[in-house]
Amino acid sequence: MLSNLGNSILFISVLVSISIIYLSNKNLKTSNNLIIKNIYQLSLIQSTLIIFCFFTLIAAFIVSDFSLVTVYQNSHSMKPVFYKIAGTWGNHEGSLLLWVIILTIFSFLFLIYNKDHPKKFRLITLIIQNILILGFLFFILFNSNPFSSLSPIPSEGLGLNPILQDPALAIHPPLLYIGFVGSSIYFSAAIASLIVNYSEKSFSFSIKNWVLISWCFQTLGILVGSVWAYYELGWGGFWFWDPVENASLLPWFAMTALLHSIIVFEKRNLFYFWVIILCLITFILSVTGTFLVRSGILNSVHTFASDPTRGVYILLFLSLMIFSSIYLLFKKYKKENYSLNQNSKETFILINNWFMMFYLITVLLGTIYPIFTDALTDNKISVGPPFYNAIIFPIVVIFLIFMAVGPRVKWIKNRFEDIKVYSFILAGSIILNVLILVFIKSYSILSNFIIISALFLIISSLKDGVSALQKNRFDLARIISHASFGFLVLFIGLNHIFSIEKDYNIKVGETKNFENYSIKLEKLDLKDFPNYKAVIGTLEINNNFSNEKNILKPEIRIYDNPKTLTYEASIKTNLLKDYYLTMSNIDRSDYYNIKFQKKPLMIWIWISVVMIVTGGFLRLFKNAKYS
Amino acid sequence: MKLKIFLVFFMFYTQSLFGIEKIIDPNTIHKNLRCLVCQGQSISDSNSDFAQTIKLVVKDLINEGKTEDEIYSFMSDKYGEWIVFKPQLNAQNSLLWILPYIALIFGGFFIFTLVKKRQ
Repeated sequence: MLSNLGNSILFISVLVSISIIYLSNKNLKTSNNLIIKNIYQLSLIQSTLIIFCFFTLIAAFIVSDFSLVTVYQNSHSMKPVFYKIAGTWGNHEGSLLLWVIILTIFSFLFLIYNKDHPKKFRLITLIIQNILILGFLFFILFNSNPFSSLSPIPSEGLGLNPILQDPALAIHPPLLYIGFVGSSIYFSAAIASLIVNYSEKSFSFSIKNWVLISWCFQTLGILVGSVWAYYELGWGGFWFWDPVENASLLPWFAMTALLHSIIVFEKRNLFYFWVIILCLITFILSVTGTFLVRSGILNSVHTFASDPTRGVYILLFLSLMIFSSIYLLFKKYKKENYSLNQNSKETFILINNWFMMFYLITVLLGTIYPIFTDALTDNKISVGPPFYNAIIFPIVVIFLIFMAVGPRVKWIKNRFEDIKVYSFILAGSIILNVLILVFIKSYSILSNFIIISALFLIISSLKDGVSALQKNRFDLARIISHASFGFLVLFIGLNHIFSIEKDYNIKVGETKNFENYSIKLEKLDLKDFPNYKAVIGTLEINNNFSNEKNILKPEIRIYDNPKTLTYEASIKTNLLKDYYLTMSNIDRSDYYNIKFQKKPLMIWIWISVVMIVTGGFLRLFKNAKYS
Repeated sequence: MKLKIFLVFFMFYTQSLFGIEKIIDPNTIHKNLRCLVCQGQSISDSNSDFAQTIKLVVKDLINEGKTEDEIYSFMSDKYGEWIVFKPQLNAQNSLLWILPYIALIFGGFFIFTLVKKRQ
């Protein structure tokens, strides 16, 4: 029943999209300056239909309707209701539906919020967006239909992968999708702007808030994914430079570049084509990311839903997008007249874009290079954290310095009067760094540079904040985001330098000592839970220096549906550090392997990212207030 | 006077910088080796038997006095390049290591010409 309902709604949605394209096309030819009402109505109906369709799927998950293949494969009647609902978008088919929801909602909102822009531009944006919607609807209908039915109806589902049963992972996909898919609207707008030659700076007003929204959510999505990996995957890290993580980072670099260069376009009417190119590649990279993740072409910790046939369709769609973008760009490209002073805000924003493109190229290359070596020479290589750390981190040092100086530089032409101030800040950063070095622990030369440059950025941003406060001219959003980025790099650096990691095989009653800590496995308990059994270890960690005692209880869980073994880390968080402990059994022995980690300032890494996003939202509210 | 303070400070700083001993940390090596039977995990993160074995092998190699790089090449000779997360600098991987820097230099050059044109 639900299967028929869902399929019918999908089918009607296809018809609605086609009608929108048809009507918009017809409306383009009329001389009237207004867009006819029917288009607004249809666009609203379209998003309502898709949302309704999604609720149908949620209903199927709640009542455990195993006549649907998707529900059968990803749910189980014994699962808690919260995870039944979250399971709706925790799989490939359902998440595509979520993807289309965002496409349609953004399409509708863009239509109603941009009434001061030329009709032609708005209509063509709508047409392009609906072509994208159609593309994904066809993909859903013919390849990844969440409403495919199954007969005979199985009595029980296969269950959801237990490591996906986590609150962070329930909100991770929606957040990330608003970022990924949100970039579709400025892709469509960029194409429309090229087609109708709408290259005045007012074009920037139509897209800048959408860029901000997608950037904020993309950042939050990456954060939540990272937090989840930290808590759930049990290795104590939050970023592994894994292909799937990289896939979410690639559009982020492009968005961040766009976020900055659009300011130049808005204020100085420069870089129009560059802004367009960034709009195009952001969404193209989002779809590329989806392709890499869903086609299973890459080996990753996060591969949960991969199937090669999906890859072919997405690849086809992707090529179509890339070729039409390139064709249009070449056809419409006009040489722009730049007049840039070397010491101006414009130049510094270009420098931001320069670094963003460097990061983007490095990460993209590292992600896809193994595919090429595998295909061309049959030699599989791994590109992992050491590669990215070696290439990216030295460059971050220079980037942070530019990031500190750039925002204070004036438009058009600046005079350098602040060299003295900057040398004081630099001296202060170096002294702070040396204090850390002397009183706590020494670290490598590169780490020194990173800590110094991060401190430099933090102090100069804070100083900007103070002097702006005095003059009452306040760019709070930028200051918060930039300072927080400095804090982020600083905390990641300190976390990396001062973390302790120890690995032992231990049995009940035994104690291990290291540095000023001792760790004792006190006992093991066996417990039964509704959908799993667990071996729970009780370990006492004693800091002999401060006499601080902590009890940590890592678990080994045995899930029934599907049958899996997971290792639950036990984490004690406080403001200064996290203790992180995992335990695993060793076959045919009464020893257990434990991994203890001390991760300093962990919580501050998350807080810094939240603050970076806060800056983004502040700017958004400010834009909304003044428009 | 200022200069003297500066010099003392500088010497002190460089001394503490270069005074770090080079000890081989088995954890760093574990992190840079892929667990071949897992999905995208490193030896350090994995609980599999394979990972346990490799950890023992690494321990033995360190005790034999091998350097970090020697251990990596030992591993990739034995299990193939797939096992090391740091791609070796050889002809096949040269583009991977060089292209990012070429992009960086090219970008810098591009901005330089844009700015210079004005003067």
